Amino acid sequence: MKKILCIGLMVGLVFTSGFTTAQTMDNCDKKALTDKCKKKLDDFQYDSQKFSKINFQERDQKLEVEVPVFFGEKYRMIFNTSYLPKNVTISVYTKSKDAKKREAIYTTKDAAEGTKEFVFDAPHVRNMYIDYDVPTDASDPKLSGCVVFMVGYK
Amino acid sequence: MFSTKNLLIIKSSLFIASTMLFVACGNSEAPKDETATKVVVKEDSTSTNDVPETSYSLPSPLQIASIFKKSGMKYKADLTSQMKDPAKYSTNLSKSLNLGVFSADLSYCVLNKQSQEAMRYMKLCRSLADNLGMGSVFDESNLSKRFEKNLEIEDSLAYIIAELQMVTDMYLDENDQQQITSIVFAGAWTESMYIGGKVYEKGKEKGLNTKLAEQMNILGSIVNALKAVEKKDAAITGLIADMKSVKDIYDELPSVKSNNPDSDKPLSFTEDEVTKLSTKINELRTKFINGL
Repeated sequence: MKKILCIGLMVGLVFTSGFTTAQTMDNCDKKALTDKCKKKLDDFQYDSQKFSKINFQERDQKLEVEVPVFFGEKYRMIFNTSYLPKNVTISVYTKSKDAKKREAIYTTKDAAEGTKEFVFDAPHVRNMYIDYDVPTDASDPKLSGCVVFMVGYK
Repeated sequence: MFSTKNLLIIKSSLFIASTMLFVACGNSEAPKDETATKVVVKEDSTSTNDVPETSYSLPSPLQIASIFKKSGMKYKADLTSQMKDPAKYSTNLSKSLNLGVFSADLSYCVLNKQSQEAMRYMKLCRSLADNLGMGSVFDESNLSKRFEKNLEIEDSLAYIIAELQMVTDMYLDENDQQQITSIVFAGAWTESMYIGGKVYEKGKEKGLNTKLAEQMNILGSIVNALKAVEKKDAAITGLIADMKSVKDIYDELPSVKSNNPDSDKPLSFTEDEVTKLSTKINELRTKFINGL
């Protein structure tokens, strides 16, 4: 009887640990990411941060975050892609993706392979649009992760 | 091999375990565990397309206060909200809006070395945050206690408020309550513009006029950020209309219409334009503070 109960308990525990893992599978460790970004702020004052969940699909995607800024202020942006399973190109524009013509004022396109943290000190602009160019993942369309950026000012 | 009773126990264990596994697989919005380290994840197909193509990251109330301060805006007593009983706010919308109002007042007081007033607004913010179920952010890293201990040191208080903002942003993101972030900021922006407008009325400083114009530039982003979360709370629809009513006035101002948005030349308003905008903002601010 005791043996049977033990087996039952063990089966339960195995599944319980599976349950715990499943609960955490959707995570990116936001606190760890926040702490890493904060260290890179230096003497910039924290202003905001934005986590973006990225689901890789069977088509390219362009996700955009609009960041209203104030002309004349000094801004630093810190990006961290540690929780992305695949590279995503990050670019910063002064106009939205709907604009007819625009040029990136920053891009991670040519960054060294394996770089997960990017620091960008922005020039004086009125608006910033952060674009994430998410590549196709035909092998696994359900692959996902998260990216964060933090904004500091002085 | 096994008795009927034992088989029943095994079946029960398997049933419980299977049920737990089923629940785990089906719930992609389960509470977050910050200790997780997995990067590659698989999700159910229903959540694949729920990432918006455009989202918004709004500034902090402290930065707005800081910009006004840098323009030379002086402290004027009695401009901040005199509401002493936050329990009056009964809906999540009015609680969030007034959390924004108090946050703006807190920032204004801190940057102008009004420590006792700052302490009062810190307590009011805490009270509303408690009501919204997010009071725990004030206990993170002993923020409340550190605020009290550093009351006379402006730089430290500003740093603590910025840290509080960071913890709050993270908390609301973790709990999928980004709509509160946008509503709080709408309240903070309105209060900051109210204070800025009132101080300008008395001194007519040119630098402040320019900063008021610059703040108006982000109103479009606030409206869009609210629209992006409108589905989460039906009450946001009314707030969007309120904020848009200010933007409609702004968009029709002659100075705005003749301004080149790509120009580096700062925009400034005529006296008549400031009056038009201030009147609308004051009306809105009264509505927020009265919890309507």
